[in-house]
Amino acid sequence: MPTEQHEVLAPAPVERETAASLAPLSLAALAVAGCSSGSGGGSSGGSTGGGGAPPPSPAEVQASRFLSQAAIGYSHADITSVATSGIDAWLTAQFAMVRPQRFWDFLVTNGYADPANINTQNGFDAMVWSQLMGSSDVLRQRVGLALLDQWVVGIDGITGSWKPFTMAAYLDVLWDNAFGNYRDLMEGVSTSVAMGLFLTFLGNVKANPVTGSIPDENYARELMQLFTIGLYELNTDGSQILSGGAPIPTYAQADVSQGARVWTGYTYASTDNTTPDRLRLPMVINAARHETGATTFLNINIPAGTTGENARKIALDGLFNHPNVPPFVSKQLIQHLVTSNPSPAYVSRVAAAFADNGRAVRGDMQAVIHAVLTDVEARDDSQVASTQFGKLREPVTRLVQWGRAFKVTSPTNLWPFGNTTSTASRIGESPGRAPSVFNWFRPGYVPPGTAIESNGHVAPEFQITNEPSLIAYVNYLHTLIVNGAGEAQPDYSALTALAADSQSLLDELNLVLAANQVSAATVARMKTALDSIAADTAAGLNNRIRAALVLVMAAPEYLVLR
Amino acid sequence: MKTRRTTTITRRALLRQASALSIAGAATPFIMNLAAMGEAAAATASDYKALVCVFLYGGNDYANTLVPYDNNQYAIYQAQRPGLTYAQSALAATKLTPSVPLPGGAQYALAPELAPLLPLFNAGAMGVLLNVGTLVEPTTKAQYQAGSVLLPPKLLSHNDQQSYWQASSPEGAASGWGGRIADLLQSGNGTATLTCINVSGNAVFLTGRSAVQYSVTPAGPIALSTRTSLQGSTAAAALLQSLITGGGAHEFEAALGAVGTRALNLYDQVSAALAQAPATSTVFPAAADPLSTLGAQLQFVAKMISVGSQLGAKRQVFFVSTSRYDTHDGLVTLHPTLLTNLANALRAFYDTTVELGVASQVTTFTGSDFGRALTANNDGTDHGWGSMHFVLGGAVNGGRYHGINPTLANGGPDDIGQGRLIPTLSVDQYAATLASWFGVPASELATVVPNIDNYAGSALGTNIGFV
Repeated sequence: MPTEQHEVLAPAPVERETAASLAPLSLAALAVAGCSSGSGGGSSGGSTGGGGAPPPSPAEVQASRFLSQAAIGYSHADITSVATSGIDAWLTAQFAMVRPQRFWDFLVTNGYADPANINTQNGFDAMVWSQLMGSSDVLRQRVGLALLDQWVVGIDGITGSWKPFTMAAYLDVLWDNAFGNYRDLMEGVSTSVAMGLFLTFLGNVKANPVTGSIPDENYARELMQLFTIGLYELNTDGSQILSGGAPIPTYAQADVSQGARVWTGYTYASTDNTTPDRLRLPMVINAARHETGATTFLNINIPAGTTGENARKIALDGLFNHPNVPPFVSKQLIQHLVTSNPSPAYVSRVAAAFADNGRAVRGDMQAVIHAVLTDVEARDDSQVASTQFGKLREPVTRLVQWGRAFKVTSPTNLWPFGNTTSTASRIGESPGRAPSVFNWFRPGYVPPGTAIESNGHVAPEFQITNEPSLIAYVNYLHTLIVNGAGEAQPDYSALTALAADSQSLLDELNLVLAANQVSAATVARMKTALDSIAADTAAGLNNRIRAALVLVMAAPEYLVLR
Repeated sequence: MKTRRTTTITRRALLRQASALSIAGAATPFIMNLAAMGEAAAATASDYKALVCVFLYGGNDYANTLVPYDNNQYAIYQAQRPGLTYAQSALAATKLTPSVPLPGGAQYALAPELAPLLPLFNAGAMGVLLNVGTLVEPTTKAQYQAGSVLLPPKLLSHNDQQSYWQASSPEGAASGWGGRIADLLQSGNGTATLTCINVSGNAVFLTGRSAVQYSVTPAGPIALSTRTSLQGSTAAAALLQSLITGGGAHEFEAALGAVGTRALNLYDQVSAALAQAPATSTVFPAAADPLSTLGAQLQFVAKMISVGSQLGAKRQVFFVSTSRYDTHDGLVTLHPTLLTNLANALRAFYDTTVELGVASQVTTFTGSDFGRALTANNDGTDHGWGSMHFVLGGAVNGGRYHGINPTLANGGPDDIGQGRLIPTLSVDQYAATLASWFGVPASELATVVPNIDNYAGSALGTNIGFV
């Protein structure tokens, strides 16, 4: 297979062409409509009966819906900005944004490189939450989280010292490459110490004819199954290619065993363990431990005598150019951002952008992200009425959305949300703590015994939805809404002015949190309930705000983003 | 120790009646007939029974769990994974002395970390199943190589083989065999939704065609903290519950509503019953694997079993799990810890069932994605297929092996290379045997494990007889 070398692009111009070709109407309409609005968060509360505050403009609703797909979280001001300047301008600005702080630098800046931390996880959760909840590059945060959901590494699955730094270096690879080229992402991950540890090819040794030992197959297998091509040959629309009615496996066990030879010889770039520095250096290859015999897997041929570095290049180029990669990667990104069950046509359009950004470049993530978020299927507001389109909001995004909407900060960078894995008292997942490379949930998960299953659909986030996790989420949410988390406190001041009028309060929350997807009927029920809380004291207003937040964020019409 | 299957006989009579009925009333759903029969059957059953699936996520390494011990097998084991083996001398204390010896003088020892289970084996309360794995039909190596038999799809893939093991179908399966067993028996329980209980999240194993899993934590169900008052408002609290249980028109909202409804509706009943649980003195050792809650999960299962009568339960299927068994490396460092953790939890659980007087009514069995290769990859082993498993309980025909001992080799007659075993005993046979003990009549086994008829007339038949 020829190995077309990708090029690294300057960010801006590519995606404009793509956007114009895919969804000109909705984008134009949104930008125009947005010009007349932007005041929904104002202080017009105080009147009663729902007649006080103006309803949000269509542009604001559209902007909120877009941001709920594109951003890790957002505030009313972000809605106003998108409604005013349009999606394209927002995407361009986000793509151009330099990362305010990298994961690694958070740890160093906040003192976690101290030798006392060599065998602890100190700083890890704070680092993750600081980015997700605190960093202004909200598109990168959202895409980074989606990439982490696919290219999974969990801190409890790695060994060695300075684990938060190992994770920081890895997350920086994902976040740095989120707007770059997928091929570079493949390279960065494949040489990262974190992945070397997590999928056990750091220390992998070529076959030993004396002992009979064979190379570790772990990374070779999951690189194909989970990160690049998947198990079956795909059409460009993500559907399986059938032969005689049966799907065609992309690889056999022999391909795994052969592919494993590529990933031999890998080790740390330095033996110095007194500081974390070696954990962000790409792994190096010990030639004596690397298999140099001729290797063939899939249709990828690595001649005898090839160096380990060149073998990696041949292997990754070959995988990158496999026809499965565009639909395989594109569909998962759509699932993470927009809808669990995209139409084949939607997948096909995004996959086309992956395969060629319009300038003959394959794997341009900006083009792919742009295609996902500006596609007619994503932007079609009539989907809000669908009984099938959309996705269950991933729990961590709900948490972050609350924090972003109400300007949660952490003055001393403690970000004290900690490990949120518990299904008894937290949200049943915690970023960077997945229990295995199969993540918290799988893109193909089907909740059995549901209409989702009988309709032939998938619902990935339902894999971590069950009786305890559902109730624990509401409980934890309530605690956060009322108490914050230590020094990380919300600012509800914009709501206080609205709270005397329950309708205005609910309208605001519905717009900012739920893109107005909580139905009028449900809002009416909420209003009745909230009106039972007297609004004639500051405490009463506070209670109304907090109760309203819990009700909206526990409502199925919020939890299912359409 | 065997329970006489009076229940089954009654059910067969009912089955005939129901068949006649369903011919007369063609619109009656099949499952409803089964449910009606199950209710009648369980109503006549004076006993309580529980199945407990202990799933080892990641694919357990069979050779360092049930370790080859006789000189011939040990030499192969040693040759295939030098540096990863237990010393033969270190295995003497856990050598198994089965009531029925294996052919050819083959012997095994439990890994030394599994020593807490040896007394159970010796007392006949634990059996060892040889070379169990996912199959569609009996499969020889020649058939495998010739492609002349149907094989489970996506062999050696974690998520898919976990699913195939639990459901006879890869990822995306609609139901699992634990749930399909429950389909037949759940209506005999006072509360049908307390038939399939998962103490470790979600697993397709526990969903049937009509049965659904009920998930709890090792500490029990979770109370909604704002149940009676949300920020001082009873109206808001009531609405919150209505939202949680209400679902919606969207298929995802409906699914959320179903989960929320179970969570809120069952909380009072389950927590009230648990408050009546008798105190037990068996100590569950602290987790040897700090990331595992297996002991706590099993302790909770025992507690649920102990209040089965308060809940009106006759038949319950439990699912617990522990992970980290994907030992591509760390086989000699991590795996022993996992086994210690497993053995401590299984032993304490069995002892608790003895203490509760229900040991012969509870059958516990292990499952895992797949076995692993016999051949080392330097410091670990890679994905395999067939594996060794344990069944425990007072009803178990223990103290012996069940199944066919495979030839341990790299490229031998029973492996596809590197000692990745072609199963000689299918998960379907394993499941059918457990289901039969549980009260599923032979005529209904195919609804539990659709491919079971493929094993009629095979060397081991459709009931292995281990319980």
